[in-house]
Amino acid sequence: MNILVFVKQVADSEAKIIIKADNKSLEIENKYTLNFFDEFAIEEAIKIKEKFKDSQITVCTYGSKRSIEALRTAIAMGADRAFLIDNAQHPYENSIVVAAILASFAKKEGFDIILCGRQAMDDENAHLGSMIAEFLSIPHISAILKLEIIDGKKARVENEIERGRATIEVALPTLFTTQKGLNEPRVPLITGVMKAMKVNIPVIDPFTLGILKEDLNSYSKKIKLLSYELPANRPPVKIIEGETPEEKVNNLIKILKDEAKAL
Amino acid sequence: MDFMLTEEQEFFKKTVTDTIDRIVTPKAQEIDEKDEFPWDVWKEFTKLGYIGLRYPEEMGGMNADKIMCMIFYEEIARASVGFAQSVIMNMLMGTYFLFRFGNDAIKKRCLYPAIRGEKIATICFTEDQSGSDLGATRTTAVKDGSGWRINGTKMWITSGPICDFCTVLATTDPSKGLKGLNFFLVEEGTEGFSSGQTINKLGCRGSVTGELVFDNVWVPDENLLGKELGKGVVYVGDILDEVRLMTGAMALGIAKGAYNEALEYSRKRIAFGQPIAKFQLIREKFAEMDTLMNAARMLLYYGSWLLENKMDCRIIAAEAKILATEVCLKVVDELTRIYGANAFAYEYTPQRYFRDARFLLYGGGTHEVLKDFIGRTLIGKL
Repeated sequence: MNILVFVKQVADSEAKIIIKADNKSLEIENKYTLNFFDEFAIEEAIKIKEKFKDSQITVCTYGSKRSIEALRTAIAMGADRAFLIDNAQHPYENSIVVAAILASFAKKEGFDIILCGRQAMDDENAHLGSMIAEFLSIPHISAILKLEIIDGKKARVENEIERGRATIEVALPTLFTTQKGLNEPRVPLITGVMKAMKVNIPVIDPFTLGILKEDLNSYSKKIKLLSYELPANRPPVKIIEGETPEEKVNNLIKILKDEAKAL
Repeated sequence: MDFMLTEEQEFFKKTVTDTIDRIVTPKAQEIDEKDEFPWDVWKEFTKLGYIGLRYPEEMGGMNADKIMCMIFYEEIARASVGFAQSVIMNMLMGTYFLFRFGNDAIKKRCLYPAIRGEKIATICFTEDQSGSDLGATRTTAVKDGSGWRINGTKMWITSGPICDFCTVLATTDPSKGLKGLNFFLVEEGTEGFSSGQTINKLGCRGSVTGELVFDNVWVPDENLLGKELGKGVVYVGDILDEVRLMTGAMALGIAKGAYNEALEYSRKRIAFGQPIAKFQLIREKFAEMDTLMNAARMLLYYGSWLLENKMDCRIIAAEAKILATEVCLKVVDELTRIYGANAFAYEYTPQRYFRDARFLLYGGGTHEVLKDFIGRTLIGKL
């Protein structure tokens, strides 16, 4: 099976992020990590390969040279090869642009299955997977919790729906987005780490993938970032006074009624 | 000159940090509180293969360079120095002489399983009257038929009470002092070999440290780990720089863990209506800690670079060990000041760093002995 995994390097959840003076760009502390949801995609790809031994796992990201680190993590876990599509020529974060580029890569490489995290932890858009599937005209099932490949031609999956799960059978090729609960991403063995350190990761110019600059420009014009804003500061904690628990509860109810207008 | 880690080394560092933070860090406080060898963490961690880091690939190792080893030592000590002690003992001192001098059967029986984490290894230098003063070693090995008969008691043996085998330093000729010393392999189950008292330590809890007793223990000739009789001290010298640099890396690891705690706490702790990190005297502490840690790390990496390139690093290794340890003591002290009275409570972590840091004063050579060595070497013969 030819398995493609799309990943993203994101700012670490502990990294300091500052909105720059123009309100449209960010200054991010140099702490980056592989997107949390993408780890499930890599792990699932490895599990498929463990079952279908002749499978090949290819990991790809669209990003800066720094993103090679995330690709190395995927190799350390067990992916076979990785590619960086360099965003230096076209550093748009616009999801349609990224989806178009990744879809072009998928067309060129060929695939039976595409896996990617259900959302990136930085922008939390959760729409890249479905966009790629749309560009490729293939089915897409989001936020899967179980994946079983049947005969290498179709898959039976479970995904989360409101207050329950749905079981779906789908013909391959299909794109699946992954989430917590699907599997337990492995900690890389040192042999994998050393392999990842030595592996050559080719850097691809997106325009060698058969995508047109005019198309990307057209896609990127469709969405315009106006500004970033920080969430409002939380109001200070209020300690409810009272001599007894009953008095405290009465005071709390009074505040909820009179001040918060919640009751 | 190039002070940068390569992209590959950076990746290694990040992966090691993430791995340790996933497996060891969450258990660090529990390891300290229980003060029992954490078999569950040991099994989960050692199956990843890190114990073979510095050994050749054909032995199940990774042939990592010395900088990578230092990164590893620092990171694992940052999480739990008690756990780090046992891991590093298997990686370095506990297996070094088997790797270098053991025959195929010994390697197969002891070294390779130790690299896989299936056997616990240790080395025995210290006795009640000898530590840095190896010439005062009283454990004896006397030729007996086709082997050696060993008698003596060793103290302060990391992983001693739980070891599957040990490399023991013994004199084969007490009249020759340092030139009478040799190393022998003794395996668990050998008649007369037993563990004595386990030490209730101030810090590095979770690693089991204690006495090993050799009561008329007989081992075959092949267990003499050395090509030439009386060269034990020379062989120790070959690994001493690496051990000192490793100890410095562990000290830096504790310092880094303590620094991170201090940073997090000072950002959150509110006093006089603002985070204490906004006060100049607190900021000064961070400036000083960071300056000292950077200086120690530079010296440590320089020493490791010299070692990797097979250049003389005896003085730099000793200096790096001293500086890193003193910096560590300073940083853990500052952590306890930043934390205020909470640092004095067992339920918070500063007390653990404060206790753990003390051990590094003795491991890898006391600073008094090291400074004397440095001064003597620099001044030369008068």
